[in-house]
Amino acid sequence: MQSRPTIWLFGRCHVPRSGLVNIRRRTFATTLQRNAATPELFDVVCVGGGPAGLSLLAGLRASPATSGLKVALIEWQDLAKNQTHSPSPTVYSNRCSSLTPASVAYLKAIGVWNHIDHTRVQPYDGMQVWDGITDSRISFDWAETASSIIPQQSTPSSSTIAYMIENINLTSALQKHLHTLGGTTIISPARVEGITFGEETPNLDLSSWPVVSLNNGQTLAARLLVGADGANSPVRTFAGIESRGWDYGRMGVVATLQLEGPGRAGPDHKIAYQRFLPSGPVAMLPLPGNMASLVWSTLPERAMKLKSMATEHICAMVNAAFRLSAVDLTYLHTMDGGQKDEVEWREQHTRFKEEELPMKVIAVQEGSVAPFPLKMRHADTYITERVALVGDAAHTIHPLAGQGLNQGQADVASLLRTITAAVETGQDIGSQLALEQYNSERYSANNALLGVCDKLHKLYSFDSGPIVPLRSWGLQAVNSMGALKGFLMKRAAGGA
Amino acid sequence: MTAVPPSSHNTTSTPPPKSSIDPTEVSHFNALASSWWDPHGPSRLLHLMNPLRHTFINSCLKSQNTPSPSHKLDYLDIGCGGGIFAESAARLSGTKSVTALDPSSEVLKIAQAHQRRDPILMREGKLTYKNYSIESHPIPTAPNNGYDIVTIFEVLEHVSSPSQFLTTVLPHVKPGGWLILSTIARTWTSWAVTKVVAEDVLGIVPRGTHDWNKYINERELREWFGKREGWESPRALGVVYVPGLGWREVPGSEGVGNYFFGVRRKIEQNESKNESRMDEF
Repeated sequence: MQSRPTIWLFGRCHVPRSGLVNIRRRTFATTLQRNAATPELFDVVCVGGGPAGLSLLAGLRASPATSGLKVALIEWQDLAKNQTHSPSPTVYSNRCSSLTPASVAYLKAIGVWNHIDHTRVQPYDGMQVWDGITDSRISFDWAETASSIIPQQSTPSSSTIAYMIENINLTSALQKHLHTLGGTTIISPARVEGITFGEETPNLDLSSWPVVSLNNGQTLAARLLVGADGANSPVRTFAGIESRGWDYGRMGVVATLQLEGPGRAGPDHKIAYQRFLPSGPVAMLPLPGNMASLVWSTLPERAMKLKSMATEHICAMVNAAFRLSAVDLTYLHTMDGGQKDEVEWREQHTRFKEEELPMKVIAVQEGSVAPFPLKMRHADTYITERVALVGDAAHTIHPLAGQGLNQGQADVASLLRTITAAVETGQDIGSQLALEQYNSERYSANNALLGVCDKLHKLYSFDSGPIVPLRSWGLQAVNSMGALKGFLMKRAAGGA
Repeated sequence: MTAVPPSSHNTTSTPPPKSSIDPTEVSHFNALASSWWDPHGPSRLLHLMNPLRHTFINSCLKSQNTPSPSHKLDYLDIGCGGGIFAESAARLSGTKSVTALDPSSEVLKIAQAHQRRDPILMREGKLTYKNYSIESHPIPTAPNNGYDIVTIFEVLEHVSSPSQFLTTVLPHVKPGGWLILSTIARTWTSWAVTKVVAEDVLGIVPRGTHDWNKYINERELREWFGKREGWESPRALGVVYVPGLGWREVPGSEGVGNYFFGVRRKIEQNESKNESRMDEF
């Protein structure tokens, strides 16, 4: 991900609505001296080699209509180093994502899925979600829900809610696929030092074309500049697109866990668990074997404390987060050590059904505990003339539904459809008119999902008051209605 | 003169006028020139319609075995305006060349300035603009030197003598090639939609763009070509603009409002036979 901005100075910050007339004024100051060298012309220049950027380029190269386009990828990290990752079956990256069937369908369509290391992918078909205050519970299980919503046509493949995958497994597969397809100019590692508009000469007017200058001296002019460059997107800044939102005052803590076994229902029927605590949701997502991935959203001071604890205490805290009361957890966070014994003692005096909970954590992978700030951001638009934003550059979502990476893949699938339609009808793929389809397909869809996750977060941050029994009633009501549950599961699975 | 009934065509024995284009129409489009490529400007509806033009042309080409899909096409776009269609046709991988004509010099300046924004369009011979009307375009020395596709988009409703205008256009189509046009049917619906709603109520089309009396019905075109030798396979497709959704193909609506019309110039298969018959006599 292109997430390290250098010197991003810019003239104006509102979205130009009136098209070409304003574009020349949309200047972008840079400390670079004006590059006299003629830039190399590309149809698509994508800044950012994360899952969204790589996936877009793979799609452009794989689809016959767009394979004639001249494309380039710029990534500041060394992509060659990114490709190597540990093959050990008991070591997993802490950066994992839950890929929905919709994302997987796209990855299959562009031919990436074959390059994935499937021994390190864990599909799951069960989901347990409950309220940390009232314990009211909703359990998603295709085996029992499918019969009530799709009586006849339930196929085995539709039973998967999502696939847990390490991000590095996905990006490695995307890179392998890009190399197999060929034809992409990959510039990595290279940092974007500035973006300006091109020059006008008697024969060619590049004054509407973004020209990207790199720290290695290269300059690239883009018919379409794609910002897949993360939450602090320099491309978005260049385009003068405002991104709005708020910080949650919470941190997400990720970690790779080892459990006492492969899961309650064995290795072939994996379950994801999520408990809503007043400080934020804690989720445990299954990985192959006895491994699991933790995403615990909590208060910043608690997150930092977790990170600093000894391994045995982290294990105890994670087990407590799924079993003990919110009051117990608050106390445990104030202790200066000794959490392991304290949790053991408190568990003896707390009632819970062990069979409804994730298996106990017995180890935390060394160095895998990492906190990151939680934000909600949404760009005002995803397009301007010759610019399109995808993934985190366009939106940052609360991780509680595991939708961030999937939204990026859905953006890319939509942008690819839009570019394909433009090529087939001779449109300039960088023109705002050609890009409108992408913006209208994705903006409202992402906005709705951002809103739902934001409201869920707020709903569950109350630990007392009238809202608590109401939300419990809501969860139980949903749980008893098979059809509605099926609808929610489909949404979580990324279906239309 | 409101339409193209063959009777009115037959009565003219006077020499054709210098230009098919009404001077007031030229000045109307001169005034609109600067905003031609503004995605939110007065030409937005034309921009949005453009992809459907290609869809229609493809359906015409696919309806016949010739020319083969690998044959690179030569286009002649009459009344190209700011170059919305001409540019898009020139970008297609199956295009060899596009020649685009427009009598408005202001509009053509915009078209040429916009052409310079795209290196593909600046390739030698890819897209050539000419600042004149069809009467001034050299007639092909032999039929096969004509164009594969001759397009007249949203022009017919602006010319003062459509029958004469079309007669001038015909020799430029190569045998086996297509004449493709789009215009608006002269119906009460089209009057209400294009004059009242689009120009006056919604304001999405600049006022004074259309003269309803100049609209031509699809049936009138079909009859006009039906009475001419050497033209075959007429096709039509009605399109409707739905606010919020854009242009949509609506089969059957060609009798109501905006529509595309395509007709093919026959390939003369008996030319060589005629010669051999001559030998027999």
